[in-house]
Amino acid sequence: MSASRVFGEDAARLGEAALELTSLEDEVLALARRELPTGAYLDSHVHLGRDVDGHELTGDQLVSDLDRCEVARAVCFAPNDPGEDGAFRAANDLVLAAASAHPDRIVPFARVDPGRGAEAEISRMAGHGARGLKLHPVAQRFRPESEESVAATRAATELGWPIVIHAGFGARRLARPIAELAESVPGAVLILAHAGRGDAAGLADLARRHEGIWFDTSLATLVDVVGLPPARLLFGSDRPYGEHASALQLVALARHLAGWTDDEARAVLERNAAGLIGDAP
Amino acid sequence: MRRAEGVRLLGLCAQSEIALVRRDPVAVALLAQAARAAPDGIAADALSRAAAIARETDLSGSSVDANAARKAVQALTRVASQEAQAAALGEGDVPGGARGQGGSA
Repeated sequence: MSASRVFGEDAARLGEAALELTSLEDEVLALARRELPTGAYLDSHVHLGRDVDGHELTGDQLVSDLDRCEVARAVCFAPNDPGEDGAFRAANDLVLAAASAHPDRIVPFARVDPGRGAEAEISRMAGHGARGLKLHPVAQRFRPESEESVAATRAATELGWPIVIHAGFGARRLARPIAELAESVPGAVLILAHAGRGDAAGLADLARRHEGIWFDTSLATLVDVVGLPPARLLFGSDRPYGEHASALQLVALARHLAGWTDDEARAVLERNAAGLIGDAP
Repeated sequence: MRRAEGVRLLGLCAQSEIALVRRDPVAVALLAQAARAAPDGIAADALSRAAAIARETDLSGSSVDANAARKAVQALTRVASQEAQAAALGEGDVPGGARGQGGSA
């Protein structure tokens, strides 16, 4: 019998292909599980809501995906849906509502545009239980080292929040701007999404000099993940742009190639992210 | 997977992924070529299935069904690409690679 969702899609939408896809996804997941230690995996990169580009994911759909792929929890933030005022308020409220409906599965983060009322929205989201910040310099067209970005990062850091920063698709080099941001906000925890593939070598070098620089594995390139220390890596899927089977396959392949121990693999899959959101024992 | 096979497969996977993001129908041909280039294993299965779904899908369409199919094809291509990358990095000794070779406990 086919699963109701496969590779993150509604199986009913995939017609006769769904059955074979389910079998193939099962095989990918089985190979990944054979390589990875068991645990309460924490996906550190999920978008909930509807992106202006049409990508969409609800809390209920996410929980179904998490169940199928045996992932315990997910850090969730809004997709690129800033709203008419550009402040992400409605999109952030959707994330809060999903977290309220699934408090054991969804960890809410705030998303802001640093140039559009960011500090007020960060404060509002903190009051509603958000536990981190997402910034997207490409979608919101700002420089990571800009005055507004520094102010938003400082506000989040004062709350003890980690800050996820898009570091994938984009034309600009990132290492110097991220270094300036890190130096402007001492103590900031900056999680560079997609293993920093937008400027991989430069950002990997930066991480050796700044202890506040982390990376997530969402839609990353294997060669970049293999080259990063597992103590600075967080498992992520980038749902709904990515999905969990290939995200787990990526971590499993990286573990195999880099020779991570079980403890190091558990850190990537769960413990590093849990520590950054304040859940570490 | 031999080095030349890996280079060929990685190139075709990367081209397919970009074509899918751009919703370019040329992805159908690229995926078919990639499927033929893949040695037995997860990559070959994933690419064969991706090519078959792509043939039946309006890749430039924006209906809910077309988007679901395109996203599934993207996922399959990603699975294949990652296996090919692993084979290239690890000289073929990767879980999920050509079946019967290189699995790990």
